[in-house]
Amino acid sequence: MNSLQVLLVKEFRESWRSFKFIWIPLVFILLGVSDPVMNYFMEDILKAVGNMPEGFQMMMPELQPLDLLMASTGQFQLIGVIVLIAVFVGTISRDRSSGTATLIYIRPVSAVSLFMSKWIVAALVAILSAVLGYAGSLYYTSVLYGSVSFKDALIMIVTYAVWLLFVMALTVALSAAFSTGLAATIAIIVIPIGGMIDSIIGSFWNASPWKLVSYGVMLGSDTALYDDYWKTLAVTFGLIIICLVVGVWATRYNRSRTKV
Amino acid sequence: MSLLKVEALTKKFGSKVSVDALSFALQPNTATALIGPNGAGKTTTMSMICGLLEPSNGKVTLADGGDIRKHIGFLPQYPKFYSWLSALEYVEMTARLSGISAREAKKRSEEVLTYVGLGKDMKRLTSTFSGGMKQRLGIAQAIVHKPQLLLLDEPVSALDPIGRAEVMELLKELQRETTILYSTHILHDAEKVTDQVLFMKEGRLVEEGTLQEIQQRYANPRYSIEFVHEAEAEAFAQSLAEHAVREGSNVTLPIDEQLPTMNALMALLSSSRYEIIKVERESASLDQIFMKVAGVGEFTASTAR
Repeated sequence: MNSLQVLLVKEFRESWRSFKFIWIPLVFILLGVSDPVMNYFMEDILKAVGNMPEGFQMMMPELQPLDLLMASTGQFQLIGVIVLIAVFVGTISRDRSSGTATLIYIRPVSAVSLFMSKWIVAALVAILSAVLGYAGSLYYTSVLYGSVSFKDALIMIVTYAVWLLFVMALTVALSAAFSTGLAATIAIIVIPIGGMIDSIIGSFWNASPWKLVSYGVMLGSDTALYDDYWKTLAVTFGLIIICLVVGVWATRYNRSRTKV
Repeated sequence: MSLLKVEALTKKFGSKVSVDALSFALQPNTATALIGPNGAGKTTTMSMICGLLEPSNGKVTLADGGDIRKHIGFLPQYPKFYSWLSALEYVEMTARLSGISAREAKKRSEEVLTYVGLGKDMKRLTSTFSGGMKQRLGIAQAIVHKPQLLLLDEPVSALDPIGRAEVMELLKELQRETTILYSTHILHDAEKVTDQVLFMKEGRLVEEGTLQEIQQRYANPRYSIEFVHEAEAEAFAQSLAEHAVREGSNVTLPIDEQLPTMNALMALLSSSRYEIIKVERESASLDQIFMKVAGVGEFTASTAR
């Protein structure tokens, strides 16, 4: 796959030179660090600026290290994923509408190489960001609250990486299939709102990609979940493969939509 | 043997027919100009030849068959480059995508960039390039893999006269090694490098041949005589009956068996007592031919006079 290699170099250059490899991980690190630090100093913060009445008693919850990792995961899900979608949702469609894709499409390059180069780099940026974000969160959690076992942390991070593979496969496939605006709309509806729906009525099923992340975190305290976890993992990988197939097909089908 | 054969090529967008049963062939090492007004289907035709658009009907075949994309270079009218790549990185990438090995790609890229006059700027980011430099970079990426067929969509339309002359000069040189098909609406530029002209109008081929042939066909040569007095012009026109057309003190008449040469006309005029300012032989300019073939009929009739 010579052309895939060439296109990967090009995508890496773009992401590096547009600082995507720096600012997106920074966003995740900030998100990851904020929860352990904020919660630890919450009492002091409230005392200093809260303007509490005399004799007011506060019952701060006793937070376990795992609670803070869950909170950080929530931040990644709420803000981090939206940032990733916004950055990568135009990765193919914008090349088409600006016409930069034209000079690539006229060469003997397969749609597989075109799509995979985009997805691999998007997924790498996303996973690197999440790993660094979790590293920040784990560091402050273990310093301020107590340590998390290496195995639990590893399962959690790997699980989150699989989730991001799915998010990026869906985002890049949408970018291949639609214009940037439409792709963004669909991605923003499917990923976060899908998550909301899953958390509201998701008790009716036990395997969906949106559950994957919380399973990954909960495995640390509840080993009874392993069955559902494997099932969910399988469903997610299945959906990733579907996204990739559809994305490659859409890349080929929409070749003619590039601006000449 | 022709290098490229286009047979009954048709493209419909919904009910609109952009290209209608277009057929032509390109001979090796020739330059062909695809000429026509805006909206004639030139860009659509090129997009179909280079495989970006699927034809609704008909086919495009290259002499040695196979994936046509391996053997063509294409320069769109407004080439867009990745702004965060340098010129050298860009051309190198396109060369490698066309199947050239890494080492060869670097060598060829440096060669073609120097050839198009970007030798000093090859390490600069493409976003810093001017319009003319982008056009040269566009040509560099189109020729880096030594294509058999070079397709250029309006290669000079966006350039100033100096840039146009330079690009046309480049094309003239490239013609020695490759076959060129380029579209333009500037016939004057086509004059210098073109072996064959394909004139498109509303998706159809309306004229075909060398530029000289077309020029002869549409030249419509005539004499134009300017008199001092309008009355004398009128009298002269009357004397020649149906042939002459008078407009003010100017008379135009066709070149035919009655007056086959300028000398015959001069003899006729000198035998009269008319006072004459100017006698000349006129033929339609390239612009007038363009408009005539494009079918702007009325306008041509009045401007040709």
